[in-house]
Amino acid sequence: MGPRPTITLHVAGPLRAYCAGAAQLSLSAQTIREVLVELEGNQHAFYRNVCDETGKVRQHLNVFVNSDNVRDLDGVDTALRAGDVVTFLPAVSGG
Amino acid sequence: MADRIILTIGTRKGVFVAEAAKTRRSFTLRGPMGPGVPVYSTLIDTRGTPRLYASSCNPFFGMKVLRSTDMGKSFKETKSAPAFPKEDGRALANIWSLEAGAGKKDLWCGVEPASLFRSRDGGDSWEMVPGISNHDHARKWSPGAGGMCMHTIVRDGNRMHVGISTGGHYLSEDGGETFHASNRGVGAGFAPDPYPEFGQCVHKIVRHDAAPGRMYMQNHGGWADWTGPGGPRPDIGVLRSDDYGHTWRSIAKGLPSDFGFPIVVHPHNPDVVYVVPLETATRSCPGGAPAVWRSENGGESWNRLAKGLPRKQSYFTVLRDAMDIDRLKTPALYFGTTTGQLWIGREGGDKWDCLFGSLPPIHNVKVAVV
Repeated sequence: MGPRPTITLHVAGPLRAYCAGAAQLSLSAQTIREVLVELEGNQHAFYRNVCDETGKVRQHLNVFVNSDNVRDLDGVDTALRAGDVVTFLPAVSGG
Repeated sequence: MADRIILTIGTRKGVFVAEAAKTRRSFTLRGPMGPGVPVYSTLIDTRGTPRLYASSCNPFFGMKVLRSTDMGKSFKETKSAPAFPKEDGRALANIWSLEAGAGKKDLWCGVEPASLFRSRDGGDSWEMVPGISNHDHARKWSPGAGGMCMHTIVRDGNRMHVGISTGGHYLSEDGGETFHASNRGVGAGFAPDPYPEFGQCVHKIVRHDAAPGRMYMQNHGGWADWTGPGGPRPDIGVLRSDDYGHTWRSIAKGLPSDFGFPIVVHPHNPDVVYVVPLETATRSCPGGAPAVWRSENGGESWNRLAKGLPRKQSYFTVLRDAMDIDRLKTPALYFGTTTGQLWIGREGGDKWDCLFGSLPPIHNVKVAVV
């Protein structure tokens, strides 16, 4: 297993309050699952917004790697490459 | 500062705060506050410097508890919200009830899936209460249309009553350490057994300090015409207990429907109790003509209060936590509707006025004199 690639986590506006106002975070992770582990350990307030107590990504959030929804890739096991941009976005809603 | 009337109004799009002088002639409105997501529960904690609390049920980013220390001019998240232990396997879906505890900073919180949490520091940290959250029955409770929620917490010294839909009424007599189902006389219409040990769809429970042991319950009624197993079960919707919730009896006779959500007791007279009867099919008042019904003799008879309310073509619902009564000498009732109206019932409900007509759908109304 090689070194973990450095990726960028884009922080959506409503979540910036949970990571000291940062618009993006730089993380080393080989998969989305590792991104979540990293967030749980080092950005816990942010993590609690994107994952529930069981560790699952919240039901109404979508996770993108660049422009691809991980739902269409390998879910939390989606592999990451250096320079990838990961974004958690609320699902579209109405009303 | 002169006494003021404060209302917290939890809506589908955040929390509002209304304020008036004791005359209640006109109310000012602040809000919406929070991130524009549903607020199912609010609490006006009048112990010491008043604090307002609101649940903030964000479908995207999870549940939060909001707190205001400036009478609702601003709200901030507490340091944490209730959360199940990771190994528990359950995840918080909604926060349904917030109540003050015995200690100055004690709070209790009922959630979905039905469980109870406690804070000893004004909402900054929370612990799950295992006596009810891990009760032997807990994994057998099942959700109603509103979810599987613990929506009612009633404290009475060392007794604690909780209401669960659909789980029923549970009673603790040791300060919340242990609980037992206490549903004798509480009917269920949606099960073959009309009086099961637990599993009832309790909607709301209230009590009164001046009548020890007296309690009132709005249960899920509307089963008078049931013809299936177990037979019809009329009048199971509005109930009274005189033994601290150990047994219950119907007081629904005289109401146009025994179905409804809120039940409120007069602050100075435990014999005066209010309900909002609804048709089961539409969850709106019979004939599209809204009315609050009041008993002045502990449920033996009922009178319709509708002066000032629409006379026809009104099909709103008043939800379980959307009616409250203030504690002034001649109290006023307040109810919010799923169509976003906030009504005041002056003179104990004798005369109604609409305070605000176009709020978001209202889940919760609490009032206090501060």
